[in-house]
Amino acid sequence: MSDVSVGNGVVVDCAGVSRTYQEDAVPVHALRGVDFQFARGDFVSLSGPSGSGKSTLLNLIGGLDRADAGTIAVDGVAVNALSESELSDLRLHKIGFVFQSYNLIPVLSAQENVEFIMQLQGVAPGERAERAVESLASLGIGELAHRRPGELSGGQQQRVAIARAIVTHPVLLLADEPSANLDSGTTEELLKLLRRLNDDRGISILTATHDPMVMGYAKRRVVLRDGAIVEDSAN
Amino acid sequence: MAEAVAAGDAPADSARPLMPAIAWRNLWRNRRRTWLSAGAVAFAVGLTGFAMSMQAGMYGTQIDSATAFFAGHVQLKRQDYIDRSRFEHTIDDVTTLVRDLESRPGVVAVAPRVEAFALASVDDRSFGAQVLGVDLERERRTVRFFNRVAEGRMAEQPGEVVVGSALARNLSVNVGGEVVVLGAGKEGGVAAMAATVTGIFNTGMADFDRSLMVAPMAAVQEAFGLGDEAHTLVARIADVDDSREVAAALNADLPPGVVARSWQAALPEISQAIEVDALGGVLVYAIIMLVVAFSVVNTFIMTIFERTQEFGMLRAIGMRPGTIMGMLQIEAFFIWLLGIGLALAVAGPVVFWLSVQGFYLGEAMSELAGQQLFLPDRLHAKVNAVVLLTSPLIMLAGVQIAALIPSLRIRRLRAVLALRAE
Repeated sequence: MSDVSVGNGVVVDCAGVSRTYQEDAVPVHALRGVDFQFARGDFVSLSGPSGSGKSTLLNLIGGLDRADAGTIAVDGVAVNALSESELSDLRLHKIGFVFQSYNLIPVLSAQENVEFIMQLQGVAPGERAERAVESLASLGIGELAHRRPGELSGGQQQRVAIARAIVTHPVLLLADEPSANLDSGTTEELLKLLRRLNDDRGISILTATHDPMVMGYAKRRVVLRDGAIVEDSAN
Repeated sequence: MAEAVAAGDAPADSARPLMPAIAWRNLWRNRRRTWLSAGAVAFAVGLTGFAMSMQAGMYGTQIDSATAFFAGHVQLKRQDYIDRSRFEHTIDDVTTLVRDLESRPGVVAVAPRVEAFALASVDDRSFGAQVLGVDLERERRTVRFFNRVAEGRMAEQPGEVVVGSALARNLSVNVGGEVVVLGAGKEGGVAAMAATVTGIFNTGMADFDRSLMVAPMAAVQEAFGLGDEAHTLVARIADVDDSREVAAALNADLPPGVVARSWQAALPEISQAIEVDALGGVLVYAIIMLVVAFSVVNTFIMTIFERTQEFGMLRAIGMRPGTIMGMLQIEAFFIWLLGIGLALAVAGPVVFWLSVQGFYLGEAMSELAGQQLFLPDRLHAKVNAVVLLTSPLIMLAGVQIAALIPSLRIRRLRAVLALRAE
């Protein structure tokens, strides 16, 4: 299936992953025995039509949902075997999330949003402020540190979300439709940014998307249809 | 431009814990709802605090009228006199005991009383009466009853007596008239005493006015064959609220058979009436607080409903349900704090004013209170630790529980579904 060699270590290893939902008592097979590996430092786009299973796979890898069958390992940790608390810790320490609708805390400034996740990790106040400022500055929005999400454009909010996701140095950045609410110009800026993070810092990025532009910036393209991987190719 | 903000260039307030800041700012996402919730808390705390302060003031007056008026804060009797009320069950060597008691911590004054039952006669009219022999000087330092009479003056010398208004009417005797008292002495002989009525008291309390007559203790002791003996010692203590503790301390060192009882034990009907009234108040306060707690539950149901997606995000980035619930608890605490602030701002001055100025009882009530019960014409609010802390602390617990109930849903929240919530 996969023609991509896994060098530099495996961050995600999915084997025979299935997930079935019950909708109005009708089983919907979102994933059917998916095998998927994701190498450290890779930038992979998961694409496919609506209902193909890309978001489901992203959620399973992110520990937001549980597979009915198969195994998922993130950075060597078997996600299936973890309790809810352990999953929370896994997400907090190893995975960065970027959501379609940014999902920033509206009452916190950009810097505080970035700091917040480090507070959950128990990082000392001085250090987290320093890292938050650094992270925002590296994404080109340092001067917006004290603005709240409502005072930022969509693209700026998404950058804050990325800053929040990478400030903890996760082994994996999961982005679910990160460009869905952005115009094409902003999307391109965002993708350049993600690619730069991937190239320069080696941040592993897995994104679910409909957007061909996103697929174009990824190093590897995985296409799902009806809960199965139908294409897996390098860009 | 980004590089303009150098790493480490953190604002001064960056060390501030974020959780309380988030909780506080979250309150203002829906100002109207926050003020409504805080207002409800303020209403409950203010109203119950006001009512409790008035209740405490009223109880204080009630206790004062029941104890400082006649019965004393602490009473000492022989246990067998309490059990059987036999005339011969007297406390001996009273003069020494009274002096000893007045030297005990917390005791301000002690007055001995002889209590005899006899037939009071004027011409051909006879009625049963309780003859009370008192040391007038000590009584005046202990209770208010003996400070004045409605007509005439107190009985100060042997051969003088004051009688209750109803008894005087029944005997058809006025000030200056003569009453003959006949009873049984301690040794079983006839006790007889003739006295001139120097005054008539009118307390408005049937038990006193209908059957009580008061004479100097020495005269009653002599007439009824008693030595340095009395049936009851009544004590005034520094703080009526300490009556139980003072009675317990006195009981540690008393002559055999003599017991000291707090006013609550000596006057259980007063104590129980206050407890029943207080219980009624507690029920009303509980209902008020319950209603307010439900409004807080409603607030947090709406909060959780509106912020489901946000909670989903927080779960997704690794925040545990307990931490999210903790944040909501802080929000509830801030609502309580706002409510307390409002209550203090609105009810505080009113209660303070009522504690200083008092509540005028009205002309008719004032006359009754002043002339018959020797009470002031105003009821004052009383502010103490119980009044200040009870309703705020109960409301605090209520608000926190009210916020906790809907937030328990967060424990079952699935991030993947919550993130899709609108």
